[in-house]
Amino acid sequence: MAKARAIVKRLKAVKNIRKITRTMELIATARFKKAMDRATEAASYTKKISEIVADLSKADLSFSHPLLTQPEEQTKNVLLVMTSNRGLCGGYNSAVLRHVTARLKEARSSGEELTIEVVGKRGMSYLKFQEMEYSKAYTNFEDKPRYDEVEEIADRYIDGFVSGNIHRLDVAYTRFETVSRQTAVLETLLPVGSIGDDDENAAEEAGQGIDYEFLPSPEDILEEIVPAAFKARLFKCFLDSAVSEQIARMVAMKGATENAGDMISTLSMQYNRARQSQITSELSEIIGGAAALD
Amino acid sequence: MANELQLIVVTPETTIVDEPVSALRFPLFDGQAGVLPGRAPLVGRLGCGELKLSAVSGERSYFVDGGFVQINGKTVTLLTSRCLASSEIDSDAARAELAEATTRPAANDADIDARFRDQDRARAMLSLKK
Repeated sequence: MAKARAIVKRLKAVKNIRKITRTMELIATARFKKAMDRATEAASYTKKISEIVADLSKADLSFSHPLLTQPEEQTKNVLLVMTSNRGLCGGYNSAVLRHVTARLKEARSSGEELTIEVVGKRGMSYLKFQEMEYSKAYTNFEDKPRYDEVEEIADRYIDGFVSGNIHRLDVAYTRFETVSRQTAVLETLLPVGSIGDDDENAAEEAGQGIDYEFLPSPEDILEEIVPAAFKARLFKCFLDSAVSEQIARMVAMKGATENAGDMISTLSMQYNRARQSQITSELSEIIGGAAALD
Repeated sequence: MANELQLIVVTPETTIVDEPVSALRFPLFDGQAGVLPGRAPLVGRLGCGELKLSAVSGERSYFVDGGFVQINGKTVTLLTSRCLASSEIDSDAARAELAEATTRPAANDADIDARFRDQDRARAMLSLKK
């Protein structure tokens, strides 16, 4: 009897787990849809920015802006790590953190001064475990990052970069490519490489042969649009991370639910066998006993 | 349709307005600018202040906080970091912002510029709320 009991207990536990993972999958799906909508809505802003940049580039002016120029030395760098606050999302965090480890190794060998800033509790606990120090940690970004919160961070980076306290800003995050494909990447956001490359098609469609009037002047608009483009790009990193996290969780939980289902069928088979063999042995005991009486 | 402009207002988070309007007025960096259908193409820098539009459903006003404007044929696009309908403005927060900006010590030119900018923004918000 003991064995069958133990299996029943386990079966119950697995069934409960399946319920939880199934629910988590549904929640992640709903959140993913919302995050996805936000990301699509935000895309129109970046598209417009690159359109204006394309218009500006037709105005024959040399692009020079403090955020565009590469500083001479590269010793004070910042790495922003974007992870999730919660786990149970498959390889989402570890893929990002793998980039971080590689970057740290590189920094150690080259002797640069690398400051780490981290978003999400998962990244914080990882760095703590690795005994690596981080200077700032944010846990306020969930699946709906707000622009004004991101802007605050972006402003700090811009100030640091312009004043020469930051020479390079790298961001390790998960880029959303398609619904079935997200990759962890390490991207350099400062110095801003080029502001028009984001969306080549939009740039080409925009303002062909239109002679714009620039108010106050193309240079002035450029001066404003470079920080705006950087902020939009950083915001996009946050949005991408949020969307990717939900997808990763969705996939992980779907797998977990399926595995739990498989386990339930194996366990119930085992239970039935155990029960059957128990009945058989009891029967044979009774028959044996009856035969001894005769 | 001939005398209409398509107005699109986008912030980094979302698209706030996307509808045909017959006229609009928005804050450029140096003051209010009005646009009627048939305006020549323009790219300009926005200041902060009131965006007023006349649509089919009536006149509405919004608060915009800097950014850019692009006018291209019939399409007017406003890119701004923040855009609030005038009913959404929190006047207490704006008043607190104004008070904070006014009392903030400013030691150098950059600080003073920042202070003036913040004061202007808060005042623009307050005047819209009234």
